[in-house]
Amino acid sequence: MEEFKIIEIKKRVYENNDLKAQTLREDLKANQTFMINLMSSPGSGKTTLVVRTINLLKEELKIGVIEADIDSDVDAITVSKSGAKVMQLHSGGMCHLDAGMSREGLDVIDYKNLDFVILENIGNLICPASYDLGQTKNVMILSVPEGHDKPLKYPKMFSKVDVLIISKIDTVSVFDFDFVALEESVRKLNPNIEIFPVSAKTNEGMNNFINWIKDEIKKWNEV
Amino acid sequence: MHELGIVIEIVKQVEEFSKSNNINEIDTLVLQVGELSGIVPRYIEEVYPIAVEKTTLKNTKLSIEVTPGLGRCKSCDFTYNLFQNNNTCPICDSNEYEVLSGTDFMIKEILAK
Ligand SMILES: Nc1nc2c(ncn2[C@@H]2O[C@H](COP(=O)(O)OP(=O)(O)O)[C@@H](O)[C@H]2O)c(=O)[nH]1
Ligand SMILES: [Mg+2]
Ligand SMILES: [Zn+2]
Repeated sequence: MEEFKIIEIKKRVYENNDLKAQTLREDLKANQTFMINLMSSPGSGKTTLVVRTINLLKEELKIGVIEADIDSDVDAITVSKSGAKVMQLHSGGMCHLDAGMSREGLDVIDYKNLDFVILENIGNLICPASYDLGQTKNVMILSVPEGHDKPLKYPKMFSKVDVLIISKIDTVSVFDFDFVALEESVRKLNPNIEIFPVSAKTNEGMNNFINWIKDEIKKWNEV
Repeated sequence: MHELGIVIEIVKQVEEFSKSNNINEIDTLVLQVGELSGIVPRYIEEVYPIAVEKTTLKNTKLSIEVTPGLGRCKSCDFTYNLFQNNNTCPICDSNEYEVLSGTDFMIKEILAK
């Protein structure tokens, strides 16, 4: 019989990524660049919100966008028309990004000369929840047509984000969307979350999100 | 796709570990996967042979230990398995809980000569 011994490793699988992300966050801070990681299911309205946000802020801030939609340049082209600095990350069919890819994207858009970076993550509410990308804040979108029961299905994502945007509120008359029930179940998972109902189509509610961004940028750049 | 990328990363980490600890032959790699980690053991097992192909772990067996996703009910204090009960307390039906275990995803240990 061959003799084997147990050698303990006890290392979290995400540890290397978390360390890289932390270094990235410190570099962003040192350069006064505020970054949000924007996550949602496919079609919830990430790109539309990004374009709307750029239009409302481009006079005051130097903005960059990292697009990570799976193997398509469509979103990058749409966003570049809005005037921000854009790069497309090719994630090779992966369902999530890691901190190494986010560093690559930030270098390409030259983040040191930007005030605000939006990373449009791959449309997926499960895998990206495990990866720190060095962002200052995590923002997710849930659109009205998706329904208010989603926090039960994706508790990890809802518990980790700083902001929940409820998008497409202009469609609320067509769908049974219970804002009160949604807020209740979200706050159970994440008591301090900010919730902004918006329509990127009519602009309703957009100001609340824009003001939040401005306030957070101020805080990020202090001290 | 998700699992393959992760397992490739794990294999890299284990290879680095064995290199720096002068371990030549690994019989078994033991992972610890929590029921609430979002990682599905069956998928890990499925992609493992692909991930170890052409690596020094190609003859290494994989063993996965699952840690239960336990939570404590915030209304009645009952401790139950969140994963099996759909995050709802079987005693009082509340879905307010505090997670006690099962979010871990770790390279636990290796069996080696
Ligand atoms: N009615 C309405 N439609 C929207 C809104 N935001 C996005 N959409 C539509 O939803 C679809 C998907 O949007 P997109 O931004 O590409 O989603 P992404 O996949 O998350 O980037 C597009 O047809 C958009 O025009 C909104 O606020 N209201
Ligand atoms: Mg998009
Ligand atoms: Zn209970």
